[in-house]
Amino acid sequence: MADPIRRRRVRHPVAHLVLCIGAVFMVGPFLWQLSTSLQTFGESVSVPPTFLPHSPQWSNVTTVFSALPFGHQLLNTTAMTIARTVGQVLFSSLAGFAFARMQFRGRGVLFGVFLSVTMVPYQVFLLPQYQIMQKLGLLNTLVALFLPGMFSAFGTFLMRQFFLQLPQEIEEAARIDGANILQIYWRIMLPMSAPGMIALGVLVIIWSWNDLLWPLVVNSDPRQMPVSAGLASLQGQYTTNFPVLMAGSLLASLPVIIVFIVFQRHLMSGIAFSGVKG
Amino acid sequence: MLLLPAAAGLVVFEIWPTFQTIYYSFTSWGAFGGHTWSGLENYRTLIADSDVVHAVINTAIITAITLLAVPISAVVAALLSLPGMRGVTIYRTLYFLPVVTLPAAVALTWKWLFNGDYGLVNWLLSKVGIDGPHWLSDPATAIFAISIVGVWGSIGYNMVIFLSGIRGIPVDYYEAAELDGAGRVKQFFHVTVPLLTPSIFFVTVITVINALQAFDLVYLMVGQQSPAIQRTETLVYLFYQRGFAEHDGGYAAAIGVLLLLATLILTAAQFRLQRRWVHYG
Amino acid sequence: MLVAPFLAAAACSGSSDSGGGDDKQVTLTYAIWDQAQVAAMKQIISEFHSQHPNIDVQVQVTPWESYWTKLQTAVTAGTGPDVFWMTMVYAKYYATGGGIAPLDDQIKSSKMDMGAYVPAVTKAYTIDGKVFGVPKDVNGFGLCYNKQLFDAAKVKYPDESWTWSDVIAAAQKLTNPQKGVYGFVAPEADELSWYLTVPQVGGQIISPDGKSSGYDQPATVKGIQFWTDMITKYHVSPTLQQTTDTDPLAMLTSGKVAMRYCGSWEPEEIAAVPYGKAHIDIAPLPAGPDGNRNYYSNGLANSMSAKTQHREQAWEFLQFLGSERAAEIQAKTGTVIPAYEGHAEAYAKAMPEFDLQVFVDQLKYAQPFPASTDTAAWRDDATKQFAEAWTGKASVDEVSRSVASKMNDALSKEKK
Repeated sequence: MADPIRRRRVRHPVAHLVLCIGAVFMVGPFLWQLSTSLQTFGESVSVPPTFLPHSPQWSNVTTVFSALPFGHQLLNTTAMTIARTVGQVLFSSLAGFAFARMQFRGRGVLFGVFLSVTMVPYQVFLLPQYQIMQKLGLLNTLVALFLPGMFSAFGTFLMRQFFLQLPQEIEEAARIDGANILQIYWRIMLPMSAPGMIALGVLVIIWSWNDLLWPLVVNSDPRQMPVSAGLASLQGQYTTNFPVLMAGSLLASLPVIIVFIVFQRHLMSGIAFSGVKG
Repeated sequence: MLLLPAAAGLVVFEIWPTFQTIYYSFTSWGAFGGHTWSGLENYRTLIADSDVVHAVINTAIITAITLLAVPISAVVAALLSLPGMRGVTIYRTLYFLPVVTLPAAVALTWKWLFNGDYGLVNWLLSKVGIDGPHWLSDPATAIFAISIVGVWGSIGYNMVIFLSGIRGIPVDYYEAAELDGAGRVKQFFHVTVPLLTPSIFFVTVITVINALQAFDLVYLMVGQQSPAIQRTETLVYLFYQRGFAEHDGGYAAAIGVLLLLATLILTAAQFRLQRRWVHYG
Repeated sequence: MLVAPFLAAAACSGSSDSGGGDDKQVTLTYAIWDQAQVAAMKQIISEFHSQHPNIDVQVQVTPWESYWTKLQTAVTAGTGPDVFWMTMVYAKYYATGGGIAPLDDQIKSSKMDMGAYVPAVTKAYTIDGKVFGVPKDVNGFGLCYNKQLFDAAKVKYPDESWTWSDVIAAAQKLTNPQKGVYGFVAPEADELSWYLTVPQVGGQIISPDGKSSGYDQPATVKGIQFWTDMITKYHVSPTLQQTTDTDPLAMLTSGKVAMRYCGSWEPEEIAAVPYGKAHIDIAPLPAGPDGNRNYYSNGLANSMSAKTQHREQAWEFLQFLGSERAAEIQAKTGTVIPAYEGHAEAYAKAMPEFDLQVFVDQLKYAQPFPASTDTAAWRDDATKQFAEAWTGKASVDEVSRSVASKMNDALSKEKK
């Protein structure tokens, strides 16, 4: 048989080999998770291990749903992430704009205070934040999940850096046209700072979606927990029933993975931006 | 005033709490609420507490091992940046997957992989004649297992930072190096690495800060009942355990202050040292 | 103690319209930790709801590992559940700390008969003369074994004549390293391990007056040694690392171990695994070397939060939880032995595939579960320290002495 396509020489064969081995290491755990999530408990603890389940056990998925208010928790995580992201991006861009473009007394000192807050690990705020939530009667509510996470000194810093590098001419032109500071912010600076806001937003989304410690502390009612804390309690219930645990892990990570694949380009450039400016 | 929302939020939720935590570190808490001034009592307990010593050492080990992800990611990014490289998007996506996966899910999955009797890791080791340990419940190995997961989880993020850093390196540097007869490896060490130092610095700082805050993996992969807990507990884990499981808020606050000091010292040290090795183009 | 009801009353009047009117729709939160009992609890709730249409009850399951952490935080904050499961371990802690409410007034006015429950349980929840919980269940223990593995190794099934030496002899025959099968499993889990053997040789965990540790007594050491010998001397049990990595019950239901000491709440979990249902059976708990069958039994109660805003409704629900009907529902599912006397038989018949009667027969040897005001302070430390003995790094004798000294320190610090 004739082969009509001329074989192309693969460029950088060694690089491909290294990267492929690496890729197996990176992706292998996901494949194993998927495979186990469809096995019976007996299959999962057999030696040698089972690679393909004899017949897919969808009951593991239903077990997860009956053990956890999983739909609720997914909504909680989503709401928490959206609220924190919108809050941080909005408040940080306002404050960042003020620091970058407005003259006022005490600006240097105030900015210094913001900068030093970025250095404090967030566990240090945890106890008092918990007490604030308790005093406001917000424990075990959705609001408790996101409220303290809506403000960010780091976000303000990032946005200030972004505003600083925008050209000043447009702003001056607008000022000559009689626009006030809010109008300048809203009509001109905000649209121009979209890449910076996306960069910050992406970081907040990842941090917020993954956050475990704070939810663990404020919300003990499973219906008010995000998925991360829900998975922790699933482990408490199904200690070493790995098929069920893997099904839960898969369900919990799937939504973000899908979002990631769809918005990949924005995400990557957002992270790259924070790396250059941070 | 544009600053107001952010400033008010920070004062209420971060700045005031910082001072409150410092105050709490000098108090002693009752089981169902209430606290009284106890002076340096917590700090006296702290320096004599073997758990705290373990936590500091463990946190340092985790930080050190997780830093291995930095050179690995640099190599991956350099390979992906080779001229004419194919499949870059696919590789990038695959390497980035761990970053967007819920750490809780990551922890459970790796806990399963590291299971001493039925885990895939030990089965693979047995194929090459190695009798693998009970990674997560053996005090000697648990911290390494956790750190490996830390490396696995941070390669993708570092890689993206490095990729954009490499893209900023002018092509003529490589062309010049090539004219000098430098091979790919030599180019990596003499062009890529020096010009990438600002990104390397950034990634290092982030890695150290994240490693100092390690909690999820210890909480989910080891846990309080494990014989390996003393050899894996981190400062944040101890903070959670004392403050929220054992309701000793005063002592937890003292651990929080220790964590704050560690972060400040390490970050300051890195910024000082950066002058020696970071080249800003 | 008198402050708690007052606080609750203040909380009630503070919120706009809750005043305990019977026609008002109220939702109670009921916190439990065992997923396996959710079905029974939901059935109880639905029957309760049909009798009290104005009271909804929401079950909140928090796994044991985090249940107490979260409960204490939530109760302190006043956001906790209205009614929740209590164990003997924490009863004194919650009662003296003002976390749970005394029920004597309600018991008196609704003429509830506290004599209907297993006396050991009622007694454990009567603190300083006041009742702090409505008894729910009581624990029995037995020897779960894998018939298939016994048949394969041609070993006679265990029966009521067995003592420690029979267990050891059988375990040695059943252990098969080539197949990865162990004859026995010796987890480091007090309630399911040495709390069952220490009383059999006359040892004790805590002195009857609750003031000093019993860990330094030679008999106690002997009772603990039984477990470590299985691993370090006879090599018939998986190691501590193995039992940490994989749940011992899962080892039993997947044919990896042939014998395990089981609690009366576990048969349902065993039956949920097809392999377990087909091959596992239950024999009486082997007696001590001299035929002694005493054991430490925990038993749960339902308690009312001292900070509930729905005191009347919570009491209605507690009464139903303590009723004969609720006992019947729990017994029939085979999840637990009800503390309501006279319903153990229904439990024993709930799962014909297992001989559940062995758990019931054992109840007469039950001893009160070791507890003091702050039980967790020394119990967790004991578990942490005994890991050294389980891994063979230190002798049981050494560790026990160190546990005893730390426990005595902790006991002396307790607020009496």
